[in-house]
This record gives sequence, structure tokens and C-alpha cells, in this order.
Amino acid sequence: MWLFVLGDLFIFLAYFVIFMIYRRWDPTLFLGSERHLDLAIGAINTLVLLTSSCLVALGVGAARRAQLQRAARFVQGAIACGALFLALKAFEWVRLAHDGYTFTHNNFFMFFFALTGVHAFHILMGFIVLAVVRRELRTDHFREHVVVAGAVYWHMVDLIWVVLFALLYVMR
Amino acid sequence: MTAAPDRTGKRDLWICWWTAPVFYLLFGLIFVLLTRVMPPPRPSMSTAQIGAFFAEHRTTIQIGFALLIVVIAGSAVLSGLVAYQMKRMSVQPVFAYGYIATLAVGAVPGCLLCAISFLTATFRPDRDPHQIAMLYDVALLSFVGSLGCFAAQYLILAIAILLDKNKIFPTWFAYVSIWQIVTELLAAPVFIFKHGPFAWNGAIAFYEGTLLFGVYISCFIPLLRKAIQQQPSERLPA
Repeated sequence: MWLFVLGDLFIFLAYFVIFMIYRRWDPTLFLGSERHLDLAIGAINTLVLLTSSCLVALGVGAARRAQLQRAARFVQGAIACGALFLALKAFEWVRLAHDGYTFTHNNFFMFFFALTGVHAFHILMGFIVLAVVRRELRTDHFREHVVVAGAVYWHMVDLIWVVLFALLYVMR
Repeated sequence: MTAAPDRTGKRDLWICWWTAPVFYLLFGLIFVLLTRVMPPPRPSMSTAQIGAFFAEHRTTIQIGFALLIVVIAGSAVLSGLVAYQMKRMSVQPVFAYGYIATLAVGAVPGCLLCAISFLTATFRPDRDPHQIAMLYDVALLSFVGSLGCFAAQYLILAIAILLDKNKIFPTWFAYVSIWQIVTELLAAPVFIFKHGPFAWNGAIAFYEGTLLFGVYISCFIPLLRKAIQQQPSERLPA
């Protein structure tokens, strides 16, 4: 899993670099477009994902202390946070599109929808990963490395979001 | 699965395996050097520029793509070999059949449509330039945009590997396969953009996707070799 995480981070790094290059070419457009994003939703989403990562970490801790039911509940909570994240993101997307800021509106929004879209896809994959972790916690002889691997993946997804939030919503 | 490599009685498998490096070498030669499709010429070219492109590369395009049509069966043999290895997995052979089927779907839009379109464009140089430009669009949109067909293939392979208890392929390769899915998804916007990173020659849609595919194939060919080496010699049931 670490290999996947490192590779995935590297791939996203490439996307971020390409985004920065295009931003450098047209800073006025990018800054102006950024203002149409709802910073509040972005910040709330960041908190939601950070909370979910916290819950996953607590889950790993509980699993290591053989409190499997507690661990499974933490993981369940993380999944719920992920679902909330996606719901907020969907709401944000619909509102932006409704206001005329679509994928093809300009370069900034092209990156915005593409990057948050790929990230959302990772969250969806994360649901599968966390479901596997939860199932593992319910077996008699659970394998710790499966739980840890799932946690590492989820932390990666959170980390990617934090960087995205900084690049897309906050950076001036 | 740590027994010494077993090379006896597997000549049929080795013949199939060799189609992989040979086919991909030819594929690279054809698409990069002969037909100039990799990296692709720009979607923002004017009709006149497109005509000039075909005029300049007419001969090598014709040689390259005629050759592709002859050797394309190499990819079919390779997918047969992969499916055969997948049948050794602990999961049901449905994954192997799905793998073959998805590649069969992908072969036409994946490269044959590009080949036929380019060959048609170079067949009568005095054709209406707008028709030639349309063939150009069809070829490159299908070549880069059809990546989505292969998303299902990568998903099937990834799931099969992750569920397989016989460890025919290592778990990390399932993740490499999943990366391909993401790059396919990011190639979908080529149907919209004529420039920028999501155009058919874009940094994200084409270059990053191709680079990651290179990683995938560079891993896959040696992994197949290892799988064959470690396969016990007795025949599998059909």
C-alpha cells in the first residue's frame, strides 16, 4: 500500500505542478475565478476529512488494543464523514454549475472540476477500502496489516485534499 | 510459489509471452517513428496544416499502419496469455473472460480506427481538405479518447489480483492497474478541449497517461514472465 500511496502522491504532484504552470501563465484569471469558490464549504470539507482521518487513526489504535467493535465503529464514522464530504462537494458543484461556472468555463474551473473530480473518485475508492477494513475487523483473526493499509490510504486521500484546498481555495 | 523456475514443456507459453515485448516494440516504432501519432499533433491545427501533416508523412503513415493491421493480433495473443494466467488464480475464471472481452471491445477504437482513418486520409491526397481534417479528428479522438474502454479491463485485473489467494501477480500490481483507470478517466475530456492539459495532446490527458502506461507495461511483461516460470508444468484443466 505504501507503494501505491507514494506513487499516487507522485501522480497528483504532477497534476499540481501542471496546475501551477497554467496558473503562472494567467494569474489574473485564476485569482479572479478563485473568488467564485465558496471558501466556507471548502473549509468545512477540510474539517470533515481531517475528522475522518482522526477517526481512522483512533480506529487503528483501538484495533491494536483488540477493541475490535470500537475500532469498527470508528471506521464507520470515517465512512460517514466521507459521505458528508461528497454530499457537500456535490452541492458545491451543482451551485457552481448553476451560476455558470462549469468545467469548460475557463482554465481555472477546468482544473477545479478535474482535480476535485479525481479526488472524489479516490474517496469513492476509499469507501471500498474502509469497507474492507471494517469487514476485517469483524473477523476472528483480523490481520493488522490490512487495517493499517486501509488507514494509510485514507490518510493519503485526506492529505491530497488539504493540498487541493490550499491550491484551489486559499492561495493568493 | 518459491520453487525453482520450471522451463520444461512450456514452449507454447513462451511463444505467447514473446509476442508481448515484440508487439509493444513494434507498436512504439509504428506510433512514434512512422505514423507520428505519439506524441499526437495538435488538435488546434488548421485544415491547411492538417493537410500538410498528411502530405509530409504520407509514406511512413501508410507503411506504419499497414504493418499495425498485420501485427495487431499480437495484442490478442497477449491478452489470451494474461487470461490464461488469470485462470490459475483462486478467483472464478469469469475475470479472465471479462479481461479478454474488454480488450476485444477496446481494440477497434483503441488503435484500429486511428489506423484506418489515417490510411484513408493518405489514400487520396486530392480529397476535399475538410474531409481529410475530419478523418484526422476521428483518428486522434478515438486513439486518445478510447482509453475509457480499457478502464473496465484494468478494473477487472485489479479486482482479480486483489482477491486472488494464489498470488499469481503481486498485490502492488493491482494498484498500478488502478492508476491506469484514473488516467483513463482524465483522458475523457479530450472530446471537449482543443488545447490545454486535457486536449488529446495535453500534459495530463496524453503525456501523464502514456507515461503511466509505460510503467504498467514495463512491470507487466516481466511479471508475466515470472508467472510462467513459476507455473507448474502439468497442464491446467481447460
